Amino acid sequence: MLQKSSLTLSDGTKLDDLIIRESNEVSLRVMSDKELYDIEMERVFAKTWLLLAHDTEIPNSGDFVVRDMAEDNVIIARDREGNVNVSLNVCPHRGMRVCTAEAGNKPIHQCIYHGWAFKPDGDFIGAPVEREKMHGNDVDKKTLGLKKARVHVYGGLIFATWNIDGPSFDEFLGDSKYYFDQLFCRTDSGLELLGPPQRFIVPCNWKIPGEQSASDGFHTLTLHRSLMEGGIMGGTAESIYDQAPGMYGVDISCPQGHSLRCLEAAQTFKMFSDISFEGKSVEERLNMLPPPGITPELIPQLFKNLSADQVEQLATIPPQVGGIFPNILVLFIFAPRMDGGSSGALALHTYVPRGPDKVEFVNFIFAEKDVPEQVKRDMLQNSVQASGTSGTIEQDDADVWPQIMRNSRGAASKTMTLKYKALHGHERPEGWKGDGLLYPGFTKDDTQWNWWLAYHKLMSEA
Amino acid sequence: MTWKTQSTASLDSTNILRGLTSLKRVPLGSPVYNAILETLFNEAAALDERRFDDWTAMLATDLIYTAPIRLTRTGPTRDRDVMRSMFHFDDDYNSILMRIGRLHKSAWAEDPPSRCRRFITNVRVAECGTEGEYEVVSYLFLERSRGDNPENERMSAERRDVWREVNGSFKLATREIIVDQSVLGMANFAVFL
Repeated sequence: MLQKSSLTLSDGTKLDDLIIRESNEVSLRVMSDKELYDIEMERVFAKTWLLLAHDTEIPNSGDFVVRDMAEDNVIIARDREGNVNVSLNVCPHRGMRVCTAEAGNKPIHQCIYHGWAFKPDGDFIGAPVEREKMHGNDVDKKTLGLKKARVHVYGGLIFATWNIDGPSFDEFLGDSKYYFDQLFCRTDSGLELLGPPQRFIVPCNWKIPGEQSASDGFHTLTLHRSLMEGGIMGGTAESIYDQAPGMYGVDISCPQGHSLRCLEAAQTFKMFSDISFEGKSVEERLNMLPPPGITPELIPQLFKNLSADQVEQLATIPPQVGGIFPNILVLFIFAPRMDGGSSGALALHTYVPRGPDKVEFVNFIFAEKDVPEQVKRDMLQNSVQASGTSGTIEQDDADVWPQIMRNSRGAASKTMTLKYKALHGHERPEGWKGDGLLYPGFTKDDTQWNWWLAYHKLMSEA
Repeated sequence: MTWKTQSTASLDSTNILRGLTSLKRVPLGSPVYNAILETLFNEAAALDERRFDDWTAMLATDLIYTAPIRLTRTGPTRDRDVMRSMFHFDDDYNSILMRIGRLHKSAWAEDPPSRCRRFITNVRVAECGTEGEYEVVSYLFLERSRGDNPENERMSAERRDVWREVNGSFKLATREIIVDQSVLGMANFAVFL
C-alpha cells in the first residue's frame, strides 16, 4: 500500500493527484506550477545535497567562487586551513550581497554597503568604526557570521546543503556511490575543472531538464538523431530505430533518485563497433579502449583507487550518462574525434531554478588532472562542441524544454499526464557486481520514475 | 599556515586582450577598409539568409572560431574578465563544417529556423604582421526571433577577427566572439555569430 502524501495545494489538488503512483503518471501541471515551486524551494532545494563547484577552482587560501543553491546565492571559499566553506552571500546587517564578484581571491569579504567584514569561513570580523559598536550593543560577534551551509567534498566536487542534521552525503548517494566512484574517484589526482562553467538561461521549469537527467536514454534516437546522421553513433539515418544504437545496456538507479546508464562502447559508437573484447583480460581491454577521459598512462591508477569489480565494469560497460537527484546531469561519454585526437568528453551540468519558469544551465567541463595538456585541450573542445551553449547535442534539448513548459499551462493541457509506463522492473544481470536497482536491456522509464518517487518523498516531508 | 596548491585551472592564466593589437590602422573610407566592411555586410546577410554554402566559401580552411566566457570580477582583476580557458564556441574549420552539415539534416534547434538579424557596427581595421592579413574588430548585435515568441532573443558582442586577402576577396581566418553576458540570456548558440 502506498503511503499517502499530506501535501495539498490551495485549490485542493493533492500531490498524490499530480504524481500518480498507481498508474505511473505525472500531471503536466507540475512543469510550471508556482505554488509547487515555492514548496520545492523549502522541501527539495533546502533539504538535499546540491553541487556547487569543484575543488580545483579554489586551489589557494582565500580563493572563492559565487554560485547558487536554487535561489540562495552562496560564497564557496577556501580558508587558511585549506577547508572549503559555503556561506550565504547575504549580509546579516542589511541584506546586501557581501561578494559582488563571481570568482577571485579575498582574505576578507567586506560588504560594500556599510562595510561589515567576514572571513572566508563566514565568521564575522567586525563593522567599521569599531568603538561605536555598529554591529550592536551587547551583541556577540559569533552570532553575526554569514549563515553556513553543511559541506561535503566528494571526488573534488563541492556539495552543500542547508539540511544540517539530514542524511550524510554517503546516505544521499546510497548504492549509486559504487558507480559514481568509477567516474569521480578513480585516479590519484582526480578531475580538474578546465575553466569557469558556461552559464545560460533556458526559459523552462527546472524539473523538465531534471527528470530528463534521470537517464532518459530513449530521446536520443529521435531528438539527437543528428548523432546517427553524422555517423558518430552506430547506424545510419535509415536504420536508427532498427539498430537503436546506445539503447541497450544496464541502467542503474536507487531510491534516492540518482541513475546512470552503463553502455558498452561497441554498442554505442560506430568507430568502436569492430572492437572485440572476447578472451581479453581487464587490463588488455582497458588498453584497447580506455574509458572516457582515461589515457593509457592512468590505467594502473584505476586498479589502485577502485575495486577489481569496479575496474572490470569500467573496462567493459562503463557508466556514461545519468544524473544525481535533483538537478545534476552527468555526461562522461566516449567522443570519437575525426582527427584521431583524444577521445572522451567529461561534463556535469546543474539545472539551477531561477523562478518557476526559468532555469540556469551551468555546464562544468572536466579532464583528469594528470593527463597531458593536449589531451585537456582536445577534451575541452569535445565537450564544448557536444554539450552546453553551442553543443550539437544539447542545443536541441534547450529548444524542447521551453515548449513542454508552455504546454503545461492551458486549461486542457495542464491536465494531461506524462507517461512512465514503459517499465522493465529491477533485474540483476548475470555476473553483475554492483548493487542498486538494475534495469538491463533496452533503456526504459524506470530510472526517471524513481526520480519522481524521490521527488514525491521529499515533497511529502514537511 | 596558508593553504596553497597547484591548479592549472587558475583564473588568471587569461589576459586582458581586447580590440585591435596592431597599431598600423587602416583608415575609414580607404579601399581596403571599404572592401572589408562590405565583406562583413555580405557575411551577415549570408548568415541571416541561411546561405551556409556562401558563408563556408568565406572561411579559410585554417579557421579558428572561439567564444570565450565572461566572468564578473572585482578589485585589481576586475578587467581580466574574458576567460580564455572556457568557451561557448571552440571550433575550427572542420567542426564548423560538421555544424553546417547538421543544420542541413536534423538540427531541431534550428528547424524551424530562427529569424535572425545581425547588426555589425563600430568596425576598426588594422594591418597584421603577415602581408594581406587584417585585424578587424566589429560590434555584433543579434536579434533572434524563434517560433511564435513575440519577444526576440538578443545578444551583443565584440568580434575580433583576422581576415585574409585571397585572390581579391577576403577569407575569415580567426574569429573571437567576446560576448557581454556572463550568464547568456539565450538558450543556445545554434546560430553562428
